[in-house]
Amino acid sequence: MAMDKKYLDLINADIDGEIGDSARAELQAFLAENAEGRALHQELASLCSTLDGVESIDPPPHLRHVIMKSTEAAKPRPESPGLLQKLFAIPALSHAVTFAAGVFLTLSLLNSGQISNRAFDDVTGLVGTVADPIDAKVFGAVAFDKPEVAGKVALRSSGAMLILDMDLVAMRPIEIEADYTDRSIWFNGFAQLESSGTKISAETGRIRLGMEGKRRFAVYLQNKGGRETTVKLRFIAGGTVVHEASLNFTPAQ
Amino acid sequence: MSKTDDTELIERCIGGDRKALETLLVQYEKPVFNAAFRMLDSRDDAMDVTQTVFLKVFENFDHYDPSRRFFSWIYRITLNESINWLGKANRLQPLKQEAVDEGRSLEQEVDSANLSKDVQAALMAINSDYRTVIVLKHILGCSYSEIGEILEIPDKTVKSRLYSARQQLKDVLTQTGVH
Repeated sequence: MAMDKKYLDLINADIDGEIGDSARAELQAFLAENAEGRALHQELASLCSTLDGVESIDPPPHLRHVIMKSTEAAKPRPESPGLLQKLFAIPALSHAVTFAAGVFLTLSLLNSGQISNRAFDDVTGLVGTVADPIDAKVFGAVAFDKPEVAGKVALRSSGAMLILDMDLVAMRPIEIEADYTDRSIWFNGFAQLESSGTKISAETGRIRLGMEGKRRFAVYLQNKGGRETTVKLRFIAGGTVVHEASLNFTPAQ
Repeated sequence: MSKTDDTELIERCIGGDRKALETLLVQYEKPVFNAAFRMLDSRDDAMDVTQTVFLKVFENFDHYDPSRRFFSWIYRITLNESINWLGKANRLQPLKQEAVDEGRSLEQEVDSANLSKDVQAALMAINSDYRTVIVLKHILGCSYSEIGEILEIPDKTVKSRLYSARQQLKDVLTQTGVH
């Protein structure tokens, strides 16, 4: 027989410490006479004890720093989105601009002879988006949580394009080296989402990036032959390698 | 922290006092992160949600209603952001699955052991309305009236939702042989 809802409420209130004296006395009288009620009380008390015993976890140590950094740039929200924001809200256009930005950057680098061992080029102001590289198939991904840098890197592929999709936070400036084994693959562009200040340089077989804070960006590699390759990643803080990972691309048979 | 303390901090934040901002962050970072983690079952997603929550709070101080307690405002934003995040169903799904295999940190392993994966899995198996009241009650330690204030529902609804949530949770845990 189903238990009276009144007693169900009293049992829950008792376990939650939200019961008055007279209600508690009423519940105790009920439980003294009702084995089903006692069993339910015990079960719920045990469940709540398990839930209350769930240990609280510490947020990653760099999160506070990242949030404080983000608030420096935070400005009051505009009344309505600007024209550029509206345009970027259209996915197709967003992709097109991403690609164009990638090509534009590549051409700029080529024209100015910057594909070399020279220092980082600041790409602040290059407007791109990696908001939706979702159509691209994921071939591998790594997630890590080191004191210096944490986040995720995925290797995606779309047509002849390989995309290194990075979503990272770093407490202090870090460098990232991405080496790819197949020398016929070439750097095709870079795009970042809602952030700026990321630095990038490219040479044959290697991309170098510099960043700090929270960053979401993508590096585009042209892999026209659809060749198998491995991308080796090294994360360097203060001249020391703090994390290494590798991602493989194997073309479909 | 008392309502007065929070209100004073917020006034200082609006005035551009970054020290006050940091004090609020220190006070609420952990509960916000924990609530998001229990709602989403992912440290990475919880980090993103925590950051979004604080940015929203910091950008919208002028919309804060001082007649309400600050925690009810920030917890409400946290739960809404977590639920929105869950709504973006396939957003990071492939990455998440592969990341677990290749990049799970020692810290994450310890967390799972501490919590009991079964309990977290059971939490993820019940619907988000029920998970929300469980998180508010058992993770954030809110009373019935505080839960009602945060979710803007009457105490009576809080009680019945909490009871149903526990029933569902108990059923899931029974099926898995935990309870």
